[in-house]
Amino acid sequence: MVSEDNVIEDSVSVEDDFDGDDYEYDDGGDDYDDDYGDAGDDDDDYGLVEDDDVDDPGAMVSRRPKLGYTVLQEADIKQRQEDDISKVSTVLSLSQVEATILLRHYNWNVNEVHDEWFSDEERVRKSVGLFERQVVDVSDASEFTCGICFDLLPCDNFASASCGHPFCQECWQGYICTSINDGPGCLLLRCPEPSCKAAVGPDMIDKLAPCEEKEKYSQFLLRSYIEDNREAKWCPAPGCENAVNFAVGGGDFDVTCLCSYRFCRNCTVEAHRPVDCETVTKWMLKNSVDGENVNWILHHSKTCPKCKRPIEKNQGCMHMTCTPPCSYEFCWLCLRAWSSHGLATGGFYSCNVYEAEMQKGNVDAAMRREMAKNSFEKYTHYYERWASNQSSREKALEDLNRMESENMEKLCNVQCTTMSQLKCITEAWLQIVECRRVLKWTYAYGYYLPEHEKTKTQFFEYLQGIHFFFFLKAEAGLERLHRCAEKELDKYVTADGPSSDFDDFRTKLTGLTSVTKTYFENLVRALENGLEDVNSTACNKTVSPRSPASPRSPTGRNGKGRGSRGKESPRAGGASKNVDDTSK
Amino acid sequence: MSDGIARSRLAEERKAWRKNHPHGFVAKPETRADGSVDLMVWHCVIPGKNGTDWEGGYFPLTLNFSEEYPSKPPKCKFPNGFFHPNVYPSGIVCLSILSERRGWRPSITVKQILVGIQDLLDQPNATDAAQTEGHQLYVSNPNEYRKRVQQQVLQYPQSL
Repeated sequence: MVSEDNVIEDSVSVEDDFDGDDYEYDDGGDDYDDDYGDAGDDDDDYGLVEDDDVDDPGAMVSRRPKLGYTVLQEADIKQRQEDDISKVSTVLSLSQVEATILLRHYNWNVNEVHDEWFSDEERVRKSVGLFERQVVDVSDASEFTCGICFDLLPCDNFASASCGHPFCQECWQGYICTSINDGPGCLLLRCPEPSCKAAVGPDMIDKLAPCEEKEKYSQFLLRSYIEDNREAKWCPAPGCENAVNFAVGGGDFDVTCLCSYRFCRNCTVEAHRPVDCETVTKWMLKNSVDGENVNWILHHSKTCPKCKRPIEKNQGCMHMTCTPPCSYEFCWLCLRAWSSHGLATGGFYSCNVYEAEMQKGNVDAAMRREMAKNSFEKYTHYYERWASNQSSREKALEDLNRMESENMEKLCNVQCTTMSQLKCITEAWLQIVECRRVLKWTYAYGYYLPEHEKTKTQFFEYLQGIHFFFFLKAEAGLERLHRCAEKELDKYVTADGPSSDFDDFRTKLTGLTSVTKTYFENLVRALENGLEDVNSTACNKTVSPRSPASPRSPTGRNGKGRGSRGKESPRAGGASKNVDDTSK
Repeated sequence: MSDGIARSRLAEERKAWRKNHPHGFVAKPETRADGSVDLMVWHCVIPGKNGTDWEGGYFPLTLNFSEEYPSKPPKCKFPNGFFHPNVYPSGIVCLSILSERRGWRPSITVKQILVGIQDLLDQPNATDAAQTEGHQLYVSNPNEYRKRVQQQVLQYPQSL
């Protein structure tokens, strides 16, 4: 675990370095870099970290060229959110409440808020619902009729958003509570008056909601800062409340949280390099539920093309509206934006886009293929191997912990040696843990290797051959290493006194670690290059526009990997990819 | 909403409706078998607009209010199998102002709902179809569509 700690300290130091800089945009500086691609500057800031990382034994196979992310704890998230709000409030001369509403509307992207505001303040105010002047003024009257309960009430009992439409405080409370209890959509609440777009902000909630709802609202607001932010994600580990911000860009898709959980920042499944996110998602869905449920999910649900949440269709209409705050409107059949539909596309059950795709035989091809090759034996074969490497990995982690907490000291005493001499043991175990992880995912990859697509068959046979070669060597190497670290080491721990051949053992273990590491690096590279090659071949054939930032492991071994890390976020890449797949 | 606001609001709606309502429309709370009034269910009649294919029809509609009204919209239901592109096979009306997520606001009145649905009868929303038959005829066979609407008008004459 030593190395994992190192990694985390690195990430903290990134943060410190960054804040310490006299940037005008301190946090926003991340975006600044992205926008202008000032690589030189970037490298200066992180050169040190990069060097650290190379020496980091934890990096092993999936060595990160540099850390492109920051782990945030709840206090950090609050702080960053407050900083962003203050920044917008200062720059645009707005109240904190107005700044909050604006930022939420633009998914907490400070630069976008600034850009939009300065290009057309009027339009932004209108669409966000921030009125400069009240459209209704009842302050002179002594009584007013509440538009919700229809009671005639004295004027001291009314409240209104920036538009001035008066409603009594009880009705406001009911309106706000209902919305808060319905979920995070309450962050987009508007005035109760039909067709009035005035936003209902945190100040109204503060004034009118009971404690419990206020608490919920502030939780939603905090969560929104991560969930609606394109550059942040929650750590998916159970019970972990940290988030990861990868605004800095670059680096690997695999990130390590402070809780030491490693996950892919694109799909938030545990780190799965060298296998791509799509394969992993399919594989996890397949494993997570029994066959019948998989069929049900495939038949009845799709994921929202924008926010990726699974959606069950339970009413007849093809016009889908995702739950707020996403609220994306799309066509159930072709998964494109509803705004692109109309009479021209046939509107209803006969969405033309879908029909055309059907004729080309593209839609749901993946699903049908899935069914066709759902031979139980094949699945079991791969699953058993996947699962056994999974449990081997967990076991290895336990062994590593026990080794560090108990046996290392014992070994020092028995063999009369120093801790630094035993570093090779920790390294061996870390290598085992990492290799088990890689090996595990190669089985998910193997399961989905196409078998009967004629055009690709030969190519894949060739590829599989190469993979198989690396694979066998890697697997055999790992087994030798694992046995050595597990069985042979035990002998030296339980010995009565110093063993004469302990030095030889250390040499052997170090050698095995290094050899296995090389084998796995080769395997990972072969798989990644294989994917690249297959992908480019596929692209040439179908002329399908692939996003350069598609959620495949981006670094590879061939230099810098993603050259252009511009606005194309990994998430956007994933989304467009999904649509591509049904439309090729 | 705090307890009981659904009922008190509906009582106010009832009062306002009695004072003034658009011609030809009917809206009244259900009378239970024992003679008491159930404010949570309203039986309404929407007349087809003059000068349209729907003229002469008096279409029965039931409004079902929940305890969460007016925070949440009522369910508006024509008889099962009602012919209209935006009416589900169950008779439920698909209209933006009646959708909790899209257009509902607590200050929308019963009158606005009924007038809104009357407008919808003659101006269906082609992009928001809720039944296959009505939609397909509407987009692909206008003559047959008109015929079906006129048949339905005859099916719902003014009751005396």
